[in-house]
Amino acid sequence: MVGFSQYINLAWLVPAFPLLGFLITGLANKRLKYNQAGIVASSMVALSFLMSVFLFFLLRSYGQDKATVTLFDWISVGNMKIPFALLIDHLSLTMMMIVTGVGMLIHIYSIGYMHDDERVNSFFAQMNLFTFSMLLLVMGANYLILFIGWEGVGLCSYLLIGFWFKNPSYNYSARKAFVMNRIGDLGFIIGIILLFFTFKTLTFTEVFAKASTFQTGAPVITLITILLLVGAVGKSAQIPLFTWLPDAMAGPTPVSALIHAATMVTAGIYMIARSGILYNLAPITLNIIIFLGLATAILAAIIGLKQNDIKKVLAYSTVSQLGYMFLALGLGAYSTAVFHLTTHAFFKALLFLGAGSIIHAMGGEQDIRKMGGMKSKMPVTYFTFLAATLAISGIPPFSGFFSKDLILSKAFEHNIILFVLALGGALLTCFYMFRLFYLVFYGEQRMAGINPHESPKVMTIPLIILGFLTVFGGFLNVPSLFGGSSAFSAFLQTAVIENVTEELSHSTEIILILISLLLLILVILYAHRIFIKKAFVLADDGEPMTFTGKLISNRFYLDELYAFAFEKPFGRLSDFLYKKIENTILDPAVDRIGTGTSELGDLARKLQKGNMSFYLFTMVAGILLFILFILII
Amino acid sequence: MLLLIILLVPFISGLFLFLFRKKETVRILALAAAIVNLLLTFSLVFSDFHATYSVKWMNILSTTFGLGYDGISLIMLVLTNLLFPFIILAGFNRHQKQVQLLNFLILFTQSALIGVFLAQSGFLFYIFWELTLIPVYFILLLWGGEGRKAITLKFFIYTLAGSLLLLFGIIYLFQLTAGVHTTDFSAFNQLQIPENTQIWLFWILFIAFAVKMPVFPFHTWQPSTYTNAPTQGVMILAGVMTKMGIYGALRFLLPIVPLGVNYWQNFVITLCLIGVIYASAIAFRQKNLKTLIAFSSMAHISLMAAAMFVLNTYALQGLLFQVLSHGVVIVALFYMANLIEEKAGTLDLSIMGGIKLKAPNMAILLLIVVLGSIALPLTAGFVGEFLMLTGLFEQSVWFAVAGGAAMVLSAIYMLYAYQRVMLGEVKAGFEKITDIRTLDFVILIPLIVVILGLGIYPQPVFNLLEDSITSLQHLFLPVLDLIYQH
Repeated sequence: MVGFSQYINLAWLVPAFPLLGFLITGLANKRLKYNQAGIVASSMVALSFLMSVFLFFLLRSYGQDKATVTLFDWISVGNMKIPFALLIDHLSLTMMMIVTGVGMLIHIYSIGYMHDDERVNSFFAQMNLFTFSMLLLVMGANYLILFIGWEGVGLCSYLLIGFWFKNPSYNYSARKAFVMNRIGDLGFIIGIILLFFTFKTLTFTEVFAKASTFQTGAPVITLITILLLVGAVGKSAQIPLFTWLPDAMAGPTPVSALIHAATMVTAGIYMIARSGILYNLAPITLNIIIFLGLATAILAAIIGLKQNDIKKVLAYSTVSQLGYMFLALGLGAYSTAVFHLTTHAFFKALLFLGAGSIIHAMGGEQDIRKMGGMKSKMPVTYFTFLAATLAISGIPPFSGFFSKDLILSKAFEHNIILFVLALGGALLTCFYMFRLFYLVFYGEQRMAGINPHESPKVMTIPLIILGFLTVFGGFLNVPSLFGGSSAFSAFLQTAVIENVTEELSHSTEIILILISLLLLILVILYAHRIFIKKAFVLADDGEPMTFTGKLISNRFYLDELYAFAFEKPFGRLSDFLYKKIENTILDPAVDRIGTGTSELGDLARKLQKGNMSFYLFTMVAGILLFILFILII
Repeated sequence: MLLLIILLVPFISGLFLFLFRKKETVRILALAAAIVNLLLTFSLVFSDFHATYSVKWMNILSTTFGLGYDGISLIMLVLTNLLFPFIILAGFNRHQKQVQLLNFLILFTQSALIGVFLAQSGFLFYIFWELTLIPVYFILLLWGGEGRKAITLKFFIYTLAGSLLLLFGIIYLFQLTAGVHTTDFSAFNQLQIPENTQIWLFWILFIAFAVKMPVFPFHTWQPSTYTNAPTQGVMILAGVMTKMGIYGALRFLLPIVPLGVNYWQNFVITLCLIGVIYASAIAFRQKNLKTLIAFSSMAHISLMAAAMFVLNTYALQGLLFQVLSHGVVIVALFYMANLIEEKAGTLDLSIMGGIKLKAPNMAILLLIVVLGSIALPLTAGFVGEFLMLTGLFEQSVWFAVAGGAAMVLSAIYMLYAYQRVMLGEVKAGFEKITDIRTLDFVILIPLIVVILGLGIYPQPVFNLLEDSITSLQHLFLPVLDLIYQH
């Protein structure tokens, strides 16, 4: 065991590499030339990835489930002892490998994508800082270390959304993302504090060990889980705090791929899966999660139908897929949620990078109405994008099929209505994705003056690797129906305690798969008919729309509603307090005391004008009053 | 003896400044004095022996000139002596009139502040407390901005009025002491004042501190004073002098009138939290960067004041940690605001923009300081605010929610201000702005190192404070336990 503890103590290197990369690219910002920053940043993430893989095999070869690495005492006050410690178990290892693996590919891709940007060094510094924070988030051994990463990724998201800071609307989007996240974080931190007072510790292993002393439905556990959920809703862009994510597309496309698709937005899912034991004790919260997840999945899918910006379509699809992960969490199927998180990281990163490749080729154009006919010009992008589209739609044997099917069957076990709604959302997903796919790659190019060509190798190779993962990633977790052993779920079993439900019989499962497959194919054929056969052209912005069309393409006016209900009233409150309370009441009140004193002085001065008889009069009157006073007392 | 040296070094070196004519020599000497004092302070922190100093003084009041310290005083002392070198540095290479007088007054203030934090009797405390006002008054009056006369007078009279009540309170306590009357804190702490008396005495003692901090609604002197004060003046005021209020309240209220504190606890916490939300909301729409920072400072201080009255260990540790953190952050913020004013010629947020394009280094440093101010984890602000929220939570969930709302609101207004100043296209009139110079780095980098260092490794501060907080709690917790038993 000596060897094990020696090696496991190197776990701190995993977050340390990107932190070092951040310091190098950040501090030597001006001195790094050409692609140096990109190479440094990418290799740091690569080292981090190798280290994660090493830890994976280390745990495996020593037959360990988990290990805690304590670096130092962070906060130790009164009864509160919070070490700066990392937890290496199967859940954090899974997340670490996703973050560093997918992160590495996106870093490499960015070398090509950000090549012409004058602030490319800052870009890589911020990307590395993000990777560091995200690793801290998934590796933290207690809720407060998790929270460091949690707010850290929020900061990096803020910085990278507003990366092109000359544009005020981008800056607004960045701020909106940060503030909405912070609203969620308020719930989260209060939840953490309540957790501390309930369990007297914040360390995961200790909290979960003590959780068994609580009964299912204990009010305090319900409250804790709801408060933590508030944080997850903000970070993972669920109703009602999801409107920041589509706006976050203002950032460079690799940022959208890494932060706003593959990793950061899944932090909420990770955190709830991590806290599974607590959520198992809170059926009310689980039902809330089911409701939020399903509602978000469907609402975002509906909005996705009418979006014309390639990145916005993908953004709403991310919100929608996160909704599916929430649904899985709510059903107590935490490992299923993490599995979908994993496959989603592959295919959504691929979709965004593919979109980036297209945008790159189109000279920055993001409107799918102006694209078309890219199939022949960008073959690598085309094929990888196709694989990702099939995966997200849930077509076998692509990765998304396995994870989504698992969620659907869990929903069926729970309640058939959930299954129908979830399937409906999946069909919508399939439709808007093929709409996007056909409009971008087929037909004629609808914008003149640009000659798109395939992206350089530094960008296409990450696409191909992600394409490979997208196609085969599902085989990590082949269910028993297809003769597999659900290896991925089994791997997570030691870290994630499921809310156990009965398994469906194989025959039911086959029927469900066949039904959904049939419907999916019908949807694809329908999309094909509209966008290929009829060569349907989307309406321009100015053209009149039906009421529902208007409602959907304006995202149900939620942004306007929030502005009306929160932003404007807060501004008015601010003005009111400053102008009416501060400047009209409080401040003058003090001045009144001042002027009042000097007026009193003026009055007193009038008494002393040197009139001798007046002095005598007052003196006698005073003495008389004094005698009267004594007599009465 | 060491304490007396630390007390007098700034003042006496300040007097020597008048012997020199060259501005730079004067500044360097002043800086040297402040640095020597900082090193002496560190020797206090890191040495094991416990220095005290006491001589017979003014027999009529049977008061000794006693200096002493515990962990709480030490934190205040470290903050003061840590910030003053930077405050003096902030004057370097700048056009200032009467450099000798200015630096003398700054060092004078430093000595007076040290006196406040080391005084062991109520009388001595009061003398130093009032003494701080004199040099600061002249700094504001002689080097201040527009409308300084009226504003400075308001500041002076406002705080003086509060102090008079404190003086009355001290005299009242003096005649209560057993045997030969005295104003020593040790005697005050032994007093057992009836609850009815404590209930009104609480306010007599509290108002002076409430004005100094300031706590809503005693804050109206603050925004205009901060906005118009010269940079070094506002750094002293916001960085250190506000902490005098907190320190005084800790020394006078908790141990001496615990029943009064207990009686008014929820009322005062509510008042403070109203101040948090009130100041945060107002900060959002401020056009002037300095006024915005002034309101943000008020919001943070109000949260600290609220935490003080919670009385539990988390809140007290968090509060005193935040004393350091807020002091450093606010000094850095005001220094940067001053830099922006120097470079842009304005503080008006509505006309600024795009300065980051011209001054990228300044933008990065400002961002880090802003993040410290909005309590991002791994900055000092987070550790302090997290502990204070934990403390508030133990009192009431709603207190914690209101305090936590400050974290959301601070993100709203600070990032808004940052965006208005730094981001966007360069606005007309700002094309010629240059980036910061070496001197600015010399001032800002160490402050940022403290902000991050305390955020990453805060434990030494807690260790320093632990015993003092326990003994402070021993002074009032038994009394309170007694009531709850009845």
